[in-house]
Amino acid sequence: MVHENERIDLSDLQMSDEELFAPYDHSVVESERITAPRYSYWKSVFRVFFRKRINIVILALLGLVLIFTYIYPFFSNYDVLENSLNSESKNLTPTEAIRMFGFDLKWILGTGKLGQSTFDAMWNGARISVSLAFVCAAINMTVGVIIGAIWGFSKKVDLIMTEVNNIVGNVPYVLVIAVLVLIFTGSFWTLVFAMTVTGWIGIAYFIRTQVIIIRDREYNLASRCLGTSIFRIALRNILPFMTSVIVTLLATELPSYISYEVFMSYIGIGITDMSLGRLIQDAVSSISVPGQGIQFWSPTAVAAIIAVVLYVVGQNLGDASDPKTHR
Amino acid sequence: MIKYLLKRLLHGLVSVVIVIAVVMMLVYALIPRYRIFAKDPLYNKTQANERAVYEQQAYESYGYVDYVPYAEWLAELAANGEIDEETRSKAVQFGRKPSKDSDIAKEYVEKFKDYYESQGYTVVRLNYDSKTKQRQVYYATKDIPLIVRLGRYFTNLIQVDNVHYVEDTTGEKLENTGIRFTLYDPLYNDNGESKKVFSPAIIGNGTEHKYLLYFDDEFPYIHQNLISLHLGLSYSVNKDIDIFNTLSDRQDPNREVTVTFPTGLTEESPRDLHSATYVQGSRDSLLLYSDRFTDDYTNVTMYKKNMSKTGFSFVIGLISVAMSYLLGVPLGILMARRKNTWVDSLGTVYVIFIIAVPSLAYIFLFRELGGMMGLPKSFDLQLDSKLMYVLPVVSLALPSIANLMKWIRRYMIDQQNSDYVKFARSGGLSENEIFRKHILKNAIIPIVHGIPGSILGSLVGAIITESIYRVPGAGYLLTTAINAYDNGVIVGLTLFYSLLSVLSLILGDILMSVIDPRISFTEKAR
Repeated sequence: MVHENERIDLSDLQMSDEELFAPYDHSVVESERITAPRYSYWKSVFRVFFRKRINIVILALLGLVLIFTYIYPFFSNYDVLENSLNSESKNLTPTEAIRMFGFDLKWILGTGKLGQSTFDAMWNGARISVSLAFVCAAINMTVGVIIGAIWGFSKKVDLIMTEVNNIVGNVPYVLVIAVLVLIFTGSFWTLVFAMTVTGWIGIAYFIRTQVIIIRDREYNLASRCLGTSIFRIALRNILPFMTSVIVTLLATELPSYISYEVFMSYIGIGITDMSLGRLIQDAVSSISVPGQGIQFWSPTAVAAIIAVVLYVVGQNLGDASDPKTHR
Repeated sequence: MIKYLLKRLLHGLVSVVIVIAVVMMLVYALIPRYRIFAKDPLYNKTQANERAVYEQQAYESYGYVDYVPYAEWLAELAANGEIDEETRSKAVQFGRKPSKDSDIAKEYVEKFKDYYESQGYTVVRLNYDSKTKQRQVYYATKDIPLIVRLGRYFTNLIQVDNVHYVEDTTGEKLENTGIRFTLYDPLYNDNGESKKVFSPAIIGNGTEHKYLLYFDDEFPYIHQNLISLHLGLSYSVNKDIDIFNTLSDRQDPNREVTVTFPTGLTEESPRDLHSATYVQGSRDSLLLYSDRFTDDYTNVTMYKKNMSKTGFSFVIGLISVAMSYLLGVPLGILMARRKNTWVDSLGTVYVIFIIAVPSLAYIFLFRELGGMMGLPKSFDLQLDSKLMYVLPVVSLALPSIANLMKWIRRYMIDQQNSDYVKFARSGGLSENEIFRKHILKNAIIPIVHGIPGSILGSLVGAIITESIYRVPGAGYLLTTAINAYDNGVIVGLTLFYSLLSVLSLILGDILMSVIDPRISFTEKAR
């Protein structure tokens, strides 16, 4: 590279004119090569993600929570009725429980109404609630994103779907879930069905708005002029563009299902299994009893921790998956 | 503009009708109908034939079936002059079982069966039950299709009081039916006395309500009984009361005032004479009534001390909406202006906390924290303290403050890189001026769109907040109705909610176009 205002005297180079002005071999292949550093999208996402120290801490916390949620229940052999015949084991504070049963992880939060371990009950409930959130989010996000992409693209679909959205949006969500729970009983899969049967439409509407914003950009116009099918444009041109939006959306969706499950159980139309929501609902009465408040606050705190961790990981992953941050 | 808005309104109303159809399908077709008896104490006391009749009557009053008892059919025939009274009284005495019917009874039992079966009814005859000693019953019943029910619901939705009401419902002919207008409400003026209190009123005779339009000292000071809304009859939540009244009627305890009755009797009483409705023959039936009233308009409601359910929800909701806009908007602006400083991080932590933590959890947390500070933890109507409003209002405002902060910050930061901001900066405006006069004006527009929605939304009430603080508001009604299978209430509430949501979207658009002159809904400009 030679700077503009620096002058080089050719005679300093000690070369003959032939050497100085020899034609350079032209290669078609070489001329097409772009000399930029190699770029891999997902590698960059994780590079940016791990650049922040706090993300490693939160990810470790998420790992810990997931271990307790999914692996710990296998070892704890939780049984609600294990101490039900022992009337002295009921509603114990942590110190009393440890004095009675000896020190074990199981007893660090005391016991509940039936003498069951609050700690085990909590993680058992977390397993149900977190699974529910994951399954519902997976279904709603998949359906919502695909339909939202089509919705944003086709004007005909837009007309119909906007009406559908107006109608479904006005049918109380609580009612739909309650009716379905009533018909099929409140099992895990009923709740999944109830929360996904209309749940995808909000996500689809959000994606539709995003699609409309970028659908008429020049690169898509060019693609359409070259004869690319709309389906392919949606799949190849637009979905990758929206990865960060989708991940961010996922980050808000996951905790919202946990929150919703807690809410549904609280008003009495939720799942019949002892999920976090049911545990919280069952313990509402013990909140003001001295020494028993822990039965309410521990599942509540776990629900809050899980939700916050999932949200923060999702948000930061969403930030990292925005190519503008990959510098 | 007006044309466009009317079109939107019409569109919205069509959606509302479809929503009601969907909800009716959910509750009437999918939930088994016997569930309405789940919380009915009377139902379990009935048995055998009595129970069958009780069921049919309940189904009829809740719109499931058309139910015609044999005796009613005969009475109708007699009223039309098709049979004489003697035949009717003989025909109505059908036997304990079909073989014991008299000849004339047998003839009409047969006719009843032919007539109703040809119209698609199911005709049921239950014999005398010797075990419980219950009378034999005979009736026809037919399920009402969903579409008919939908039609009936909307035709009965708005009822206008008229002078033929008494004649149409009771058959009694009153003298001097009609409507009169007076400038001096008789309730405030001793009849014929010279002391005149000016208070216009419209009074009807022959109508359901005596006072069709009147003034009093309660907000909104002018009241009407001419048009009444029938959103849906309750079966168990508030038995036999329309959900509209459940929402809007004031609540216990009674409030006594000095009342001068039409007969001139004056006493301390909670009776609100303006609410008088007609009950046939009631004046002569009770000494209590004949001492006080001069006509059969004796059925009155009581003055109540407390606000209605919607009133409580609305007051709490409105204060919290005001609080959240007054706090959320400035805090959001502050976060945007101090981007990437500790102020911004602290705000973000708060926003994350509210978004991620289940609302139940943080409401309980704030309730405990408030309790430690000595604030009342639940609503107590016996106390006159205004302090009990503090925690519910704060709990309601917390999430909306977080939401407003999040969006104001986002919109303002997005606007910061726009060309007009760069231009303003190059023109030498101070950062303060740029933020206040340029960015804020643009960033606030999407926020303004939500204001009517949040105000109207407070009418609906908040389920969790109200149940945790025991506020006697409207929020819990839907879940209570769902848990009690009270279908009429579910449908009525859905109508109320969806009308509010249609209205708030339209009002939001209007407000947005008022704030921002670039937004226009006329066809030409678009």
